[in-house]
Amino acid sequence: MSPECSRVLDSLGHPLPPELAAHVASCPECRPLVEGFGALGNLAPAPKMPEPAMQRVRTRTQEELAAQPLPTPWWREVLVLVGVYVGLTALGALALTPLGLVLNSAPPGVVVGLSLLVLLAMVGGAVVALAPVRQVAWSLMGLCTAVVALSVVLGGSGLAVKSFLAGAIGCVKTHMLLSALPLLSALVMLRRSAYHPARAVAAGLSAGAVGLLLLHVHCPDGSAAHLAASHVGPWLLLGGLALLVRSRLPTSNHAP
Amino acid sequence: MTRFCQGDARAFDALFQRYARPIHGYLARVTGSPAAAEDLSQQTFLSLVRGRGRFQEGARVKPWLYAIATNAARDWQRRKRPEDLTDEGELPTSVPVEESGPRDAGLERAVQRALEQLPEGQRIPIVLHRFEGMSFAEIAESMGLTESAVKVRAHRGYARLRELLATLREETNG
Repeated sequence: MSPECSRVLDSLGHPLPPELAAHVASCPECRPLVEGFGALGNLAPAPKMPEPAMQRVRTRTQEELAAQPLPTPWWREVLVLVGVYVGLTALGALALTPLGLVLNSAPPGVVVGLSLLVLLAMVGGAVVALAPVRQVAWSLMGLCTAVVALSVVLGGSGLAVKSFLAGAIGCVKTHMLLSALPLLSALVMLRRSAYHPARAVAAGLSAGAVGLLLLHVHCPDGSAAHLAASHVGPWLLLGGLALLVRSRLPTSNHAP
Repeated sequence: MTRFCQGDARAFDALFQRYARPIHGYLARVTGSPAAAEDLSQQTFLSLVRGRGRFQEGARVKPWLYAIATNAARDWQRRKRPEDLTDEGELPTSVPVEESGPRDAGLERAVQRALEQLPEGQRIPIVLHRFEGMSFAEIAESMGLTESAVKVRAHRGYARLRELLATLREETNG
């Protein structure tokens, strides 16, 4: 789009200055633009809201305002969700303690580093899911997800403890059990803002990070195949599951 | 908006007085259903109250309010016909009209039909620009896009609208 075309666009609805009128006459892009704009003038004005309906809307909204005189800042919801994640992670850790909480035989530095990365994914995902941004960059989210997934898979001890299937069944089951309540909490929070697919996926991944973190610390099986299929796979699946469920849930607040 | 955020009922009244009718008109235009527009207007203003903690200081009210209304319309459409939604969660490219097709209708219906056939990404900026009198900067703020991106969408949308109209006219005449 040339600067003249942009000026024509800005001037639509007003009389065009002679130089722009001359541009429109010669520009193959601006002619249909002006004609398209003009054609919309053939539409009737939008219907007006009847007065009783308007009063109903006003009264209902005033009641809502009286019930909630003070707004809840969006970051408070993020804090609540992260608090729930941390609480459920602690509960999960307590539940796993009798079996031995830290069974990952990778070097301690790797275990701690990866734990911090997953923790970052948990908090970051919650922020992306609930922050009042209009657009979420899929590419950036995909990149962060890939970094976490690859780090977990490549940062394993390489030790295969059980047969692939037996190990997979146990870990997937534990993963889902540990992530169920965080996912439920994230979905409840998500309903309080407008539906956006990327936000739903971010919420699912952040909730799934609870299970991923605990498994990463607890699971003694560090083979790449096991980590990919039984730790990272279900984590990614939770992102998809959150999207699927959220798209079917009603929204209580359409604010971006 | 600051006073409204603090729970001032008079500030809300002023906002409601100013935007209730335009928002209803916009929703009626976007959904094609005056009845749905009434319900969605209520949802829009309820969301305004419930979501005012998400309003970013320094932002303009009008683009934010229209963003809420667009989200409400999108949600309505999604819940009405989930199979029609695109992967991006957008409104479908074609909103079915309640009345008979464009072949038996006049110019107005042909224009309406052509508008409905535009992709949502082009239709929303056009409706906001042409009928709500919003500047491209305001539309960009409402849609979370850059002003130049909105201009490209509107430019393509108006041109595509004219193409669609020509096709519809040919179909009607032929």
